[in-house]
This record gives sequence, C-alpha cells and structure tokens, in this order.
Amino acid sequence: MKSPLLGRFESPHEKDKRILGPLQRISRQYRHYLDSEEVDYCVVGVGSAGGVLLQRLAKAGFSVVGLEAGPFWDPERDWVSDEKGSHKLYWNNLRITGGEDPLTFGENNSGKGVGGGSVHWAAFAPRFHPSDFRVYSEDGVAVDWPISYDDLKPYYELLEREIPVAGPAYFPWGDPHGYPYGPHPLGGVGDVLVKGCTKLGIRVCAGGPVAILSGSHGNRPHCIYRGFCIQGCKVGAKASTLITHVPEALDYGAEVRELSMAFRIGMRDKDHVNGVFYYDRDGHEHFQRAKAVIVAGYAIETPRLLLNSACPGHEHGLANSSGVVGRYLMAQAGNVVLGRFPSLIRMYKAPPAHAMTEEFYETDPGRGFARGFAIQSVAPLPIAFAKQMMTAIGAWGWGMRRVLMDYNHWATLGVLGEILPWPDNRVEIADEKDEYGIPVPKVTFNLHDNDKKMIEFGKKKVMEVMWAAGAEQVVQESRYAHLVGAARMGSDPATSVVDKFGRTHDVHNLFICDGSILPTQGSANPGLTIQSLAARTADYLISQGEKIWTSDKRDMTPPPIRRHLAVRDSFTKGVPRLFR
Amino acid sequence: MIETQTGEQLLPVDPTTKRPRKPTRQPGYYPGYSTMSQKNFWDAATRQTVEKRVYDVPEIRFFSPEELPLMQAVCDRVLPQHDRLPQYRIPIVNYIDERLFKNEIDGYRYEDMPPDREAHPLGLKAINETASAMYNKPFLDLGPLEQDYVLKSIHDGEKKAALDIWSRMSIQRYWHLLVQDCVAAYYAHPWAWDEIGYGGPAYPRAYTRLENGDPEPWEKDEQRYEWEAPATSISDKYEESAAGAGTTHHGQGGTH
Repeated sequence: MKSPLLGRFESPHEKDKRILGPLQRISRQYRHYLDSEEVDYCVVGVGSAGGVLLQRLAKAGFSVVGLEAGPFWDPERDWVSDEKGSHKLYWNNLRITGGEDPLTFGENNSGKGVGGGSVHWAAFAPRFHPSDFRVYSEDGVAVDWPISYDDLKPYYELLEREIPVAGPAYFPWGDPHGYPYGPHPLGGVGDVLVKGCTKLGIRVCAGGPVAILSGSHGNRPHCIYRGFCIQGCKVGAKASTLITHVPEALDYGAEVRELSMAFRIGMRDKDHVNGVFYYDRDGHEHFQRAKAVIVAGYAIETPRLLLNSACPGHEHGLANSSGVVGRYLMAQAGNVVLGRFPSLIRMYKAPPAHAMTEEFYETDPGRGFARGFAIQSVAPLPIAFAKQMMTAIGAWGWGMRRVLMDYNHWATLGVLGEILPWPDNRVEIADEKDEYGIPVPKVTFNLHDNDKKMIEFGKKKVMEVMWAAGAEQVVQESRYAHLVGAARMGSDPATSVVDKFGRTHDVHNLFICDGSILPTQGSANPGLTIQSLAARTADYLISQGEKIWTSDKRDMTPPPIRRHLAVRDSFTKGVPRLFR
Repeated sequence: MIETQTGEQLLPVDPTTKRPRKPTRQPGYYPGYSTMSQKNFWDAATRQTVEKRVYDVPEIRFFSPEELPLMQAVCDRVLPQHDRLPQYRIPIVNYIDERLFKNEIDGYRYEDMPPDREAHPLGLKAINETASAMYNKPFLDLGPLEQDYVLKSIHDGEKKAALDIWSRMSIQRYWHLLVQDCVAAYYAHPWAWDEIGYGGPAYPRAYTRLENGDPEPWEKDEQRYEWEAPATSISDKYEESAAGAGTTHHGQGGTH
C-alpha cells in the first residue's frame, strides 16, 4: 500500500492553534504581561520544574511569567520522526567541558524550548528510594537531604497520577508501590533484559515505570510504539510539561514567554531581587519586574545565571555566600552495554524505556563501594548506535558499515549508576561569550574512587545479563546520563544554596527549583523527583502567601498538600492500583 | 561528487568466488526495502524534512577548494561507499559542510579542542602531514591501503607528524569528531535506513509488531549474504584494544 486510504497525511490548517498532539490543541492567544508590570513570580525556564510551578501558581491565583530560552513548540508542525531533524530540541549553545572525565551536553541531557528536558527524556519515572534521602547517615558518604522520603511521597503519588506513569501494579524496590496505568508491552530490548535477569535470578520489572500512556488519558492518546521518545513525542503519549502542565497554566492566566534568554537577576536591595533581565528573540534587552524570582534552568544554566548575576554584596555570584553555587554537580553513570544476538531484535520499536531492575540500587558492603545502580532498557536509533560503536569497538570504515548492517541484531542495556557529589565537579564561568554576549559555562568533571568502582561493577553486571540473555558478542560504551546538583539544598547555609523549600539562604525572595537543588541523585532517573519537588515548592509558596516576597523570616512549616491543584483528569482516569 | 579513487580493488569481495561484488543501488540484507516508499504514511513535517535531505542536497560553502578533495578522500575511507552505484552514494561531505557553514554545534566543546570550524581544517592538514611523514606523498596521491594506514594511525592516537596541531587539539577527540560527523550524515539518510533495515518514521501509523524482530507489513525480512571488505582496506579489522588505549572515551549520543 502506497498511501493511507484517505490520501497522504498533511499538515493541519488551524493557524491560530498550537497542536500538541492529535487530540490536544491550545490557542496561541493568551495573557501577556508588560515588562513594567510587576508580576508575583517570574520563573526562569519552563521545563520539568518550571511547567509544574507555572501551573500550580497560576491555578492558585498568582500572576506568573515563565521566561523560556527556546521556542514554544507546536509538536505536530515542529517535530519530526527523525533523529537528525530533532537536533533543535536540545540545548546546543556552547558549553566548555573538561576535567579528567568530561561530560557531554546537548542531546545527552539538556533540553531547550517549552517543556525543557521533559520533551526529550526517555520518560523512565521511578521514585527515589527512602535511603537516597539519608546517604550520609546510612553510608557515611555525600550528604543527607534536608527532607525525607516521607516528605516527598505524597507528591510522588500525586505526580504519578498527573503525568501519569504506567508501570506494574507492584513495584518491589525502595518503598514498594503500584502505578495508575498498566505496563507497556515489551519490545525487543525489554525482552532481552527480562530474559537475562530471569536466567540469573534477578528480579526485573517489565513495561515501566514510564511516564508514557498505555491507555488514553483525557486529550492524550496512548503510545503507538514508534520509538522516537527522545526525539520528542508527536503522539502526545509521553509526558512533557508542554502537554501536561503548561496548557492548564495558560488557562489560569500564566504567560509563557518563548525565546527569552535570561542573563541576570535584578536586585532591589542586597537581600531582595526585583526581576529578571533577559534578551528577546531579536537580541533586545528587557527587564521583567517581579515580586519574587524562581530559577528553574537545570544544573548548568541555573548556576550559570547565579554566577553571572554577581553584584555588590554578592561578588562571587548571587546566593553564593557558601561558595557552593556550581559545586557538587552530578551526572549518573550511563554506560551502555551492547549485545549482538543471532536473531533479529529491531530495537527501534517501542519506547526505549520500558524495562528495568533496581536490584542493585542499595549499598551492598560486599561490593566494596557505597550506593549502587539500576539496569534499564535503552534503544539508540541508527546515528546514536553508530556513535556508540565508534567508542565501544573503535568502529570505522568498512567495519562501521558492517556492524550497522547488523543494527537489527543488537540490543542495548544501560547502567544507571549513582555518582556521588564532589566539590570539584563544578560549573564555573568561562571567558568566552555566547551569541547574546553572555559568558558561557565551563564544566569540570572527575570520577572518584567510589564512582569508578561502582561503574566497573555495574557494567560487568549488565554484561553478565546480556550474555545470559543469549548474546553472542557483548561490548560496552562509557557514558553519562542526566545532570543534577550544582545549587544544592540543605539546612546549613554554609554548605548549601537553598533551604528545603528551594528558597536561597542569602536572598529572601529568590528561589531555585529544578534538578540543581538535589543533594544526591540515587540511581533513579530524576524527572519525577524534580516535578514532585516543584509541586511541593509551589504548595509552600501558596501557603506562605504575600509575606514571603518581603519578609526575611523563614517559616519552615511544611505546607499541606494541595491535591486539588493537580491538573484536570488526574483522578478520573487510570486503573486501580495496589497501595501498601 | 568527486571520485577520489576508482576501480575494482575498492569493492567488497564475495568470499566464495573471491570476486568483487558489483556495486548496487542498495547494499545490505534487506533487498527491495524502501522507507521512502512509505512517506505518504508519515506526518507532513517529517516527510518534508526527509525529502529535503534526499532531494535538496546542500552546496559546498564551508570547505575551501583545496580542502574539499582532501575531505572527500578522507570521508571515502572513514565511511567508504564503493559498494554503492555512484548515483546512490550519500553525499556525506555536503552535510558536514552544511553543519560547519551554519556553525551548528552539539552544545559543548572539550577544553582541549578548538571550535569545530577550526578542528576540521586543522585535522585535514594533520592528515596530509601524516601522509607525508609516512609515505612522502600527500594524502590524495596515496593508494587506498596507504590512506587507511594514515587514518588508522590517527584512530590509534599515534602522533606521527603535525605535532603542533596535536598540541592544539586532542588527536582522539578529532578522530571522534570526524567519525561522528560521517556517521551522523550517512545514517540520517533514508538510503542508509534501507541498507540496515531500519523502520524509519512511524507517526501517525505506529509500529505494531514489537517482539521477536518481526517485520511490519511494509518492512522486509533479512536476507543475509557474506562479504569481505576489499583487500585495499584495513578498517574492517576489529581489535579489542584499538580505541585509543589510555584515554577516556565517553560517548556522545543521548540514549537515556
């Protein structure tokens, strides 16, 4: 068949609408504030955290503007089912990377545009384990969080319904729980992980937890298994704040200002901010006035903005009296193990993320290192696979052509390992400037002894699983996944940047809410935790009301959870799940 | 496209007959498979992007007339395509040229690397100097096997010449930049998808057969054949320790 029955698929005509998926359309007309209007909250970055913050604060009646450096996407018209054509989804602006074990950025971990990283995440959405919040107490390394798992648990449960998460009815690791949407069918890679783990007696979980719909939900259709999760989900089945929270934020009067690159935070006096300086799409400078500012730019841009906002009274960067801004940056070990199988796998089908085990997540003294790792399905498309083979086996020339001709025979599994926070892993400001004239970030990253032991153990374990699944050749590539830290939360202003609600210790009406505030990272993908923290910070701000904009008193009472602020449809869809 | 090397000695060999395999329109184990035949099932944005890539090949605007034949010769060895009929070769150099002309970067630069727009011309210069040091001839005047040995020395991180260039840029990272750019251009092309049996775009239609490597109705089953790389090449030899021993090689692509 050469064409669909009713002719080839064409672009929809509705020019006045953004088309977020086959069923979801939003108006291009919405509330617009003037720079001179003082809004209640200016949120810098409309990504995983920023989208949730905007929706909650607007729904609670605050005036809010979100400044987003990238575009406000129209997935139907802007996104493509194409690896190379999806390059624009990533934060591709220059960052200098160095150290002994340098990180890479762009497509590996950094999003740009409304939805941010949640547009291109693979959407694994596990919770952190209770032990993740007490790493120093339990293992004598890193730090404890200023909050416990129980503080965050109600928000995990809420966000799992809001975005929502599909997975097994019984998830056995950490704090065991179930998911509101059923698990996904397995693709070739998931089969390999389940087969290998089962053979070795390792408990394994199939079909999630992923923030991808296994059944339709409101105006979002279920997954069609096309495999382009990290190229942006045109279907609208994979959650991103672009489609989960931003539409409702707009309904309640929030403004999302696209192509607006923040470069400095403005100060009313030494202890208070009064807005954000930014460049618009044409490079013109603006200043958005605000009663409070929330920085949600993720683990590189957040410290970059704070450091670039140095001013009298904050000579080493805003909110940086501790010297900790930019430090304790973390990435997770993301080694990819590739196995060739005699039969076909075709790993490009199904979401890359759909099977995992957290059996090695917790510290095991017998292994000789603290903390652990998870094993997850991954599934590179051809270009990413070729790059992996370049590093894994040094492939080039006819060897590259040969191994790629066997693309359909390969399956890939990922280590997701906990690298500990170290002060020398940091974001600084380089001498070079970007196209706006803003100094670019310089990132230094070194692996330490515990990290190296964990990676060695983790990759060997995944290779064992791959062999057990029946692979006839197994190779691996070292890499990293995700970014967190660099503006960490804590109780002590001398060793942390923000308190447990995301308020900076140094500046009373400046908040940070994104992955950068995580003190440690566990072996879980950080997306769900970032969104849960954002919902909690929003509840705190709503509870505090107007006094938080001017008062220098800190009320550390935890806020009540506001379930009624969850996005619509959160409680009316899904299947019953097991509660412990 | 400039032909830098021609002749039967460049072709992969049938191991049974020991004869060169004739160049075809579509090498690989999925004869008759065509992703582009399915383009009416793709959404409009995807169809336009892929069609533009195939039918609207960008002109050379970045590489100088002196650099261009050298870059072409290098890419012909880094990702050889002599098994393809000339009109079905994928214009790798044009896509790399376009990236550099538009200065589209991947969001980072290693501190021991110059910007990509300087790295490529410097690398070509270093390749030529290495060729002179090893064979007393410029790279373009070498036979394919000698060219492979020159490139292999860079692949292995051996600085046989151009020490001033390698002091400004990491030899391993330059190699990775070069290979990455070649594979990113080649495997972005639907003809390469046909070669490797990759399903390609599937929105709004969906994939429905997820397990056991089963093909969709429009996909094809694999039909393997044996082939050997040409005797004039060394790039098909896999060595366990080849990838620049002693350096860290962290991957570039995003998978999770």
